This record gives sequence, C-alpha cells and structure tokens, in this order.
Amino acid sequence: MPEDLADVYRNTYPALVRFLYRKVWDQGRAEDLAQEAFARALVHRPENARGWLFVVAANMARDEARRAAREKRHLTLLKSEPDAVHSAPEDEIDADTQRTRVRTALDQLTPRDREALLLWDAGMSYDEIAAQTGLARGAIGTTLARARRRLVEAYDAGQEGGQDVARG
Amino acid sequence: MSHVDEGTLHAYLDGELPSGDRATLEAHVAQCATCRAALADERALRDRASAVLGRARPLERPTPPFEQIRRTPARRPWHVRMPLAWAASIVLALGVGYLLRSPTREVAALHQQEPPAVEPTVVATNQTRAAPPAEQKTAPLPQERTRRRAAAPADEQSRTSDKTTPPADVVAAVPAVEPRNAPAAPVAAGRVNDSLQRERLQASRLEGVVVRGAAAPARSERDMAIDGAPVQPSNPKTWPLIDRRLATSVLGEEPVAVPGLAVRSFRRGPGNDGTIVVEQTLDSVTVIQIFQRPARTSLNNSAERGRADHFGRFVGGLRVEIAGPVSTDSLNRLLDQVKPLH
Repeated sequence: MPEDLADVYRNTYPALVRFLYRKVWDQGRAEDLAQEAFARALVHRPENARGWLFVVAANMARDEARRAAREKRHLTLLKSEPDAVHSAPEDEIDADTQRTRVRTALDQLTPRDREALLLWDAGMSYDEIAAQTGLARGAIGTTLARARRRLVEAYDAGQEGGQDVARG
Repeated sequence: MSHVDEGTLHAYLDGELPSGDRATLEAHVAQCATCRAALADERALRDRASAVLGRARPLERPTPPFEQIRRTPARRPWHVRMPLAWAASIVLALGVGYLLRSPTREVAALHQQEPPAVEPTVVATNQTRAAPPAEQKTAPLPQERTRRRAAAPADEQSRTSDKTTPPADVVAAVPAVEPRNAPAAPVAAGRVNDSLQRERLQASRLEGVVVRGAAAPARSERDMAIDGAPVQPSNPKTWPLIDRRLATSVLGEEPVAVPGLAVRSFRRGPGNDGTIVVEQTLDSVTVIQIFQRPARTSLNNSAERGRADHFGRFVGGLRVEIAGPVSTDSLNRLLDQVKPLH
C-alpha cells in the first residue's frame, strides 16, 4: 500500500500544493499542508487516496484560514509601528498584483463554484469533482462554465477598477 | 437537436463528455453555425479562465522525497512558516520572566520601579491571581497608574521587538493580547457590579506564554529571565536535573505530564517558587517541556478560571504551561491532555 501511496504522492503532490495555494495563499503553508495530508494518508491508508487527500487538504486549508485569521488579529494588535517600506523589483510587484487580483476574483465565486474550479485545475476528473463536492456529475460542466465566466468577469472588472484608480 | 447548452460544451472541451454524446455534439456543431460560434466562445472563455488561474500559481518546486513524508509530517522552520511570528515570539520569550517568577517579590518590585526597557507586559494570558502579600503592602495603588501601565504595552512591545534579537529557540506563538484594562471579563460584565469587576481586574495580571524550542541550543543566557535572574531552562547549570521524588516534593504534589509520552527528565527552576519542568519526548528529535509550579492562586470563580486557562492550565494545584518545537495548535492539544503522573 505505501508503494501505491508513493505513486499517488509523485503524481498528485504538485497539484495538491497548487490546490492548497489558492486557498491559503502562502507557498510554504501550502507545501506544509500538502505534506501533512500525505503523512495522514500514510496513517489512514484510505481506499481512494487521491480523493481522500483533497478532502483532507480542503479541511486543513479551512482550519488554516481560521487560524491565520486569528493570528492576524493578534499580530495586528502587536504591530503598532508600520513596516519599513521595502522596495521590490517591478516584476515582483506585478506578480503580486496579479495574484491579488486573481484572489479577489476567486473570492467572488460561490464556494461551490470555486471548489469545482480549483479541483478541476488541480487535475481532478468530473467524477472526482462530483464525489468531492456532492454535485451530480451532469452538473459539473454547467458549474465549471459558470465558475469560469464569473472568474474572468471578476478578474477583468478588477483590472478596469485598478486602471481607473491609476488614472484618477 | 436543439442548441447545445454551455455546460455540455464545457464538458466536451474538458474531454469529459461520454463518447456517444461527444459524437452527437460534433455532428450537430458541424452543421449549426450558432453552436459552432458558441463552442468557439466557450473555448476562449475556458482558455481565459485557465490563464487567469495560472497567474496565481505557486512556484514550481521539486517534490520532496516520499521518504521524508514517511518519517515525519513535514514542518518547515517557524520563521519560514510564520514570517510575522518572530516578532510575537520575542515578546513571548520576554514574557517568560513573568510566567515563572514568584508572584511575591516581583509584584512588589514592579510597583516600586519604572518599567524596564524590555518589559514583557503585552502578549499574555490574563491570569487571575490573588494579590500576594507583598502586593498588599503597596496595595492602595493609584488606579490611574495601573491604567497607564496597562495602556502602554503595545508600544513598548514594538520597541522591544526592534531592539531584541529573535531568540533562536522560540518556535511559534499565538499571542493573546489582552491589556488588563480591556474588557477582561466580557462574560461577567453586566452581570457583576462595578466594584467587584474592578476588584477582579486589579487582581488579574498579564502572564507571558511560554513558547520555546525544547532542544537545548547553546545560546546566550540573557535571552530569558525568570524572576529577574537570567536563565536558560535547559541549561544544566540553572535548571539542574532532579529526580521525580524531588520534583514531587518541590511541587507539593505529583508532577504532571502528557500521558503516553516518555519522560526524559525533570529539572528544577532557579527561582524559589517551586517551578519544575518535565521534559518529554514526542519522537527521537522533539522534546516538549511541561512547566509547572504551585499555582498559589485562589480561583474560585469557574469563569475566571476558564479564562486563565487559555494558554496555560491549572491541573490540580499546579499552574502548567507547555513549550516545544511544534505548532501552537499541537501544543494546546498536548496541554489539554496533561495529567498527574502515576
């Protein structure tokens, strides 16, 4: 069994990190959580390891988000002095802006649409997405169509807003 | 065939349409200009959505070897995991002096002196304790001053952080920032009358949370202070090894520990407040420390006790805190399991 899991690990780890990254928005944490999910899989030896991993990862990401929110509250109280202004290279700022814009756009999707889209992007099949989200398999195409449309619209709206601000 | 809906088009584009449906769709699209245009639109949308998502990808880093996963759940260093945590950690480390010190001497001293440059007042649990005898002597303290001291901490802390090197062995922290004049008793408020409320606030004081690495890194002893005396908990000179019998006699009751974990050692603190630490091994490289001392508090009110238990716990007559190089959540879970040794 561990051998099978080793295969799943090799094939799924990057996708799981990507999936988690779009939830916790921190590469290090996403990697941590992905590895922890696999560590748990080693203990539990689930039948369908791939599906199980994504369920566990989604749960951990949710807990992580709650914890991060708590920590942020606490740390905000601690930080009475503003951070020093760091100068970042142009492209880094650009990448940052892009990421923020995508994140904002994703936030505007319904949780179910977002989940389906992120699972699809992590390489899951319609059957797997249906099993994970509880949606009927026949509804996945429609869900993804809606999610994609909303994502693109929200992203474009964010871009226009940004340009308006820049111009104004 | 009527026009193809967008869900079916997306399923087709995603290669998820069953083969029969696929053939039907292709036949229809070949002769329906509307659906052909719709398919082109949906294809463009699908590509666009992928491109948008692609702008928020993590860096492609090599997959760590599976063997690494098998050994331990991966944990990256605290400073990588929580970039902001170090600041809180410093504050917490400074709070250690408060945590384990004797209530008697220290409180009196505090009232007589201006706060030192590095005063660990902020990040804390709000522990309620009975006013110790020494405090009673200086007790009629102007309330104004109490307030001022309580209001200052956020500022003091950040200055402190700037001046202090992050202790190497501070691992993680969830600071609870509860200035003593903040609504320390929100549940009770409104139910208790004002004077009782004030009395409770005066009786409560802030207490630092112990959050340290458990291993014993060689480092300067000045990074930590307990009872004003600089110490390093795992330093054999200042925290000598003792046996269990002595630990029991220092505490006045059985020491507490996490059941099921091997006890590596008992150590006695340098102060005279009866503090000991029980060191337990989580695995071959991870040691957690269970700090404990006689609580010497009279927490009769269960609500107060519940709040005071937030980061440390009272187990029997002991005040217990936990430290170790694992996540704060894990520490809290371990702390929950602590029981007297039998």
